[in-house]
Amino acid sequence: MATSLSHGAVAGASPITGWTLLRVLWRSFFFLAAQNYERMQNVGFGYAMLPALTRLYEGDRLREAMNRHLEFFNSHPYMAGALLGASVKLEEEVAAGRLPPERVSSFKRCLMGPLAAIGDNFFWASLRPFGAAWAIAGALSGILWAPLAFLLLYNVFHLTIRAYGVFAGYQHGERVFERVRQLELVRFADRSHYLSGAFLGVGAALFAEEARSASVTLGGGLGALLLLVLTVIALLCLKRKMSMPVVLFSLAGGCVALVLGLDSMFPLVQ
Amino acid sequence: MDPAALAADVGAVAAIGGILALERRGAFQFMVSQPIVGVPLLGLVLGDVTTGVWLGSLLQMLWMSAVLFGANVPPNETLGSVAIGGMVLVYGRYIGPAEPAVWSVAILLGVPLGVLGRSLEIRLDRANRALAVRADEAAKAISPAGLDQLPPMALLRSLLVNAAVIFVAVGAGVAVLMVVFESMGETLSYALELVAFYVVPAVGLAVALTTVRRRRALVLAALSYLCLVVVLHPEWT
Repeated sequence: MATSLSHGAVAGASPITGWTLLRVLWRSFFFLAAQNYERMQNVGFGYAMLPALTRLYEGDRLREAMNRHLEFFNSHPYMAGALLGASVKLEEEVAAGRLPPERVSSFKRCLMGPLAAIGDNFFWASLRPFGAAWAIAGALSGILWAPLAFLLLYNVFHLTIRAYGVFAGYQHGERVFERVRQLELVRFADRSHYLSGAFLGVGAALFAEEARSASVTLGGGLGALLLLVLTVIALLCLKRKMSMPVVLFSLAGGCVALVLGLDSMFPLVQ
Repeated sequence: MDPAALAADVGAVAAIGGILALERRGAFQFMVSQPIVGVPLLGLVLGDVTTGVWLGSLLQMLWMSAVLFGANVPPNETLGSVAIGGMVLVYGRYIGPAEPAVWSVAILLGVPLGVLGRSLEIRLDRANRALAVRADEAAKAISPAGLDQLPPMALLRSLLVNAAVIFVAVGAGVAVLMVVFESMGETLSYALELVAFYVVPAVGLAVALTTVRRRRALVLAALSYLCLVVVLHPEWT
């Protein structure tokens, strides 16, 4: 049975159990809830670490540990699982007196950036656009459950990485970055862009097809050509740093003005 | 039209939108808040899944590049898409057919809400500074319970603010749609259909293509577009 020491740490067998890690994992889902500009995700990180900290420390050492995890923190919310797991392991070492407390802070500072870069690249810049492009192409071809498939595909990766991060982080401690790097997420991310491109092309063709079958039919392949030309114009505008709303309002305004102008000369609608 | 039922539906959209806005960043991040999922979900609740799926696809492309990189705060695609989806679906349920011209006006009304949502998020993050101070106080007082209550407080505030904005936006948007379509001529309606079928998808595709980072992937997009157009219409070649 664990006993309390005079300096505030809890001694005996490790008080960190699978249940503690599950509680940390659960709380990691609220990581960005109280994001602020001064210390970014510090409240979320401290909140997620609490189940482990309260099992490891009491009194003044608990205060010090809470303060350690309320320092500035900014990383990718899914990848932070690995940092949480590893931080629990390091806190366990600190509580046992095998590591100085500063080691936990410096470890977090060193790894939050690299892990955020992997997470941003894999999840935000690759998996989400890829899944969304696939879902758009699927939905437009009549597969109404395509959005559900997107959710499933995305969350298989999301939940696996989150849970793996917490448990592998606890198991491997400071070596967790090596474990995450071995997953080769970046290579997968690179390749997914080709599939995203292909699915977006399919989606575009299905939009053109839908427009053709609607009441605004433009003869022959004119509609498909118009969509292509407008897409290239919009792409050029966006590449010149115009924002999406500005491009949208400009092209929509131009289109409406053109139709109304043409209609006053040659009635378009009988 | 039953005004009480209409108001109840607007309230339902606001409640769902508030929860989705939480899911977008504050809690879980399962991506239910993405337009391709959130708007069909609204469609399911309001009885028109097909419109929800189509509109969700369009809006997903328009906001495909809205990504939370680091400290960057992108336009709030959830606020914008839920408001647009809500306007179209509620209009379709009570006023008239949710046809593409209605989508166009709703999209033009709702897109600025994405930008407004960004300012709102920045303000909420600034307000969270007080919670960070309270977290320090909880640590000083060695009070884990004090820290425990902070994320739920931030979530509740975000839920209420987003739901209120969506309620007002959808209510006002439906009123604007009623006024606009009551007196709309056929030519303007035709022009707005062109916007829905060509301009919005084109801008959406362009935004989506900016998220594709490999040059050869853009070639692949053009090739798959041309191939499918030719397969669907061999008579054009």
